[in-house]
Amino acid sequence: MVRDMSIFFRRRRRQKEQDDKEQKKQPSSKGNAEKDKDKNKDDEKANKHAEEWEKELSKSTDYQKKDYINRKTGKKFIFTFIPTLVEEKVLDNNALPPLLEEEFLKIIDVKKLLPIADVEVSSDTKKIAQKLLDGYVLLTLEEDTREFAFFSAKKTVVRSVTSPEIEFSVIGPKEAFVESIGDNLNMVRTRLPVKELIIEEYTVGKLSRTKVAVIYIDGITNKEIINTVKQRIDDIVKDEIADSSYFTQLIADNGNSPFPQLLDSERPDRVASSLAEGKVAIIVDGSPHALIGPTSLTEFFNAFEDYFLNWILATFIRMIRLFAVVFSIMITPLYVAVVTHHYELIPKDLLVTLVASRRVVPFPPVLEALFLEVTIELLREAGARLPTKVGQTIGIVGGIVIGTASVEAGLTSNVLLIFIALSALASFTTPVYQMSNTIRLLRFPFLFMAEIWGILGMTIAFSFLIAHLLRLTSLGLPYMEPVFPLRLHDFKDALFRLPFSSQSKRPTFLRTGDSSRFSKDKAKKKKDIDE
Amino acid sequence: MQQSIPESLKISPFMAAFVVVSMQIGIGVLGFQRIISKDAGYDAWMSVIGAGLAVHIIVWMMYKICEGVDGDVMAANIFVFGKTIGNSINTLFIIYFTMTCLTLLSGLIEVIRTWMFLSMHPIFFASVYLLLGIYIVNGGFRTVVGISLFGIVVPAYLLFSFLAPIRYGDFTNLLPIFDHTPVQMLKGAYNMTLTYLGYGVLLFIYPFIKKPKESKKWVHIGLTATMIFYTLLAVITFAYFPISLLQKSIWATLEMWKIVKLPFIERFEYLGLANWALIILPNVAISLWVASRVAKRVYHISQRKAVLFIAAVVLICVLMLDSRERINIFHDLQAKAGFILAFIYTPFLYILLLIKKKVNAK
Repeated sequence: MVRDMSIFFRRRRRQKEQDDKEQKKQPSSKGNAEKDKDKNKDDEKANKHAEEWEKELSKSTDYQKKDYINRKTGKKFIFTFIPTLVEEKVLDNNALPPLLEEEFLKIIDVKKLLPIADVEVSSDTKKIAQKLLDGYVLLTLEEDTREFAFFSAKKTVVRSVTSPEIEFSVIGPKEAFVESIGDNLNMVRTRLPVKELIIEEYTVGKLSRTKVAVIYIDGITNKEIINTVKQRIDDIVKDEIADSSYFTQLIADNGNSPFPQLLDSERPDRVASSLAEGKVAIIVDGSPHALIGPTSLTEFFNAFEDYFLNWILATFIRMIRLFAVVFSIMITPLYVAVVTHHYELIPKDLLVTLVASRRVVPFPPVLEALFLEVTIELLREAGARLPTKVGQTIGIVGGIVIGTASVEAGLTSNVLLIFIALSALASFTTPVYQMSNTIRLLRFPFLFMAEIWGILGMTIAFSFLIAHLLRLTSLGLPYMEPVFPLRLHDFKDALFRLPFSSQSKRPTFLRTGDSSRFSKDKAKKKKDIDE
Repeated sequence: MQQSIPESLKISPFMAAFVVVSMQIGIGVLGFQRIISKDAGYDAWMSVIGAGLAVHIIVWMMYKICEGVDGDVMAANIFVFGKTIGNSINTLFIIYFTMTCLTLLSGLIEVIRTWMFLSMHPIFFASVYLLLGIYIVNGGFRTVVGISLFGIVVPAYLLFSFLAPIRYGDFTNLLPIFDHTPVQMLKGAYNMTLTYLGYGVLLFIYPFIKKPKESKKWVHIGLTATMIFYTLLAVITFAYFPISLLQKSIWATLEMWKIVKLPFIERFEYLGLANWALIILPNVAISLWVASRVAKRVYHISQRKAVLFIAAVVLICVLMLDSRERINIFHDLQAKAGFILAFIYTPFLYILLLIKKKVNAK
């Protein structure tokens, strides 16, 4: 095969040399000669380039060049391709029959013959290597190698669309993104079939050449936000992008923050609804998670299922979730603070219960708490790394056996065990995985501060947290919105989920081109009694 | 007259009120009752209202000054006094706000050491707290304002705790009304103005407010809210304490909290005190921000460096203020400086500005 290719190029070179000689024999007008010279130079360069890619590609064993002969003209034509990237069926069923049976003389005729949409005729050798790597087949005629044709026969390995696993909902659509960018874009487009939906594609990464699509609705999404996203994507220098989560980190406003600054979602319905709000979505090829921005802290505690439920229920569940987060972060540090520093803080009866449960524990409260917290973290980490079925067993073993045993052994108090188990449970209510990881981490600084200065230390830790959150931005917009800057209008879909009839305006902080979603008067119109 | 502030860094007029109010509510709330009743007795609640009204007039003047030069007080100083004298006065502001920061921090540390951690060494707490302040100031003015909002909204639940002492209060303590001479009342009002201090930041944040005219309304509403809060707190305290006991209570508010009983919290003052760290935080952050901003404008150094330097100075001074007497002397000094700035310097500057404008017009 290697030899085949080199012969092909040697022949090409020879042909060119002949051409050169002919030109020398017949000097045309001066201008023409100069042009030809330039052309020759270009040709030489291209040739050199072509040989280089050929040399590189032929090092791999999955590189093929095959000769075929047309039955009518008896001419030879050659397919060059990378079989691991190419769907053989396309070659066998679509490309070969017409090329073998029908008469064709020039490469340009191939366009008419092939029943394939993506056929390109070119003479630019620089393109060859990239096209081959994108799953194209190169078609050349033996006689004239200057022009050649490409046609797409890309083989894509994709799994079929499944139901969402991380953002599962009991009711509502059961479709989740897959790894193929084409399928993902299809799922978004079918949900928003308007001409204003704009998809812009970029290629990022010197090695992975990952395709990235930026999606927004023209006229609704703020131009500045779109430009920010484009600018940040242009600025990415990383050579390899494996997943959209790389993007979250690479284009985040503050890379040194444990808080996710872009919302990731595996639900096409959530992406479509965010786009309708005036946000930008980023879909990365090879990743089943789309990114949505700009986002705010409160959005990470909203499950998309909130919108499938009645607003009263949804608001109630949101409140429970927010309470769970605060509880999950604060309860263990509070225990440590009270037991270490402020036993006067709690009433006597409660203190008796606490002391009784701690009577045999030989450690200071902070070590006791750390021991249990670390155990829980270990269980969680082990559960995440192990296959599902083994993971469940680990959960049971850890939760029941270690917990009970450590209380019986007198290493921990059972009150603390209840608190820690509850706080672990509460941390699972956060609908966005990335955020629940952050909450896992936040508990520890609070724990240390509680050990040093009790509830005063917790206040200091809380202040640091607030200050950090106030400094954060998501694509240039404040992260703490609508709490700060205070926008009372945006509370309608932040801490609460008010009925759809009062959601007639898009979030103010997005500064959308068209702030009105629908006519409010019409939605709120009520009939009088007995009419 | 000065470089304009980018629109994206400005705050809404509504938020200006939060900055002013959070600066007004500081360490004073914990123990102002004893000081105001020293002279005016239990008629002091009227002094509170009187002083509150006086503050409204001063704030009105401050707005006039800023509107006059369409900038902050530093611009006004330079406009009125020329560059050399103006900048010298501006330098005094750096010292004043560094002192403010120091007063608040040392006050907070003193309360904590008295009520919570007897053996806590000031250096650790002060370092952590100042680091927090630097972190906030480094986030820019918007972060400072955000902390002001949180410093008011989060601890707002403490207001309910003041309802508990009402049940045990004896409101006949306040009778008879007008039992004191006007001079005594004025003295009480003078002492109250020290607790009210903090609205002076308006002179510095003015260029950062989006529609300054609209903010007037909010700031005055904020000032009224503070006045009502202080008046009610004074009345509740006077009802709760007999006057002889109040004269011995340095931290009357904290002592009142002892009566709060909840099914899961026995000593409420601990919770209140921990929250006070959050209430003082905007004060420290704002004064650090103002001091460093003035330093930046006057000496053309980067604000990041200025903050670090000022925080270092505060830290060293906190270590020197290690006894009750020294803290008292220092707090009095700071309060006097604040009084002079608010009630003497501000009207003086206002009048000079008017004269200068008239002269220039001719």
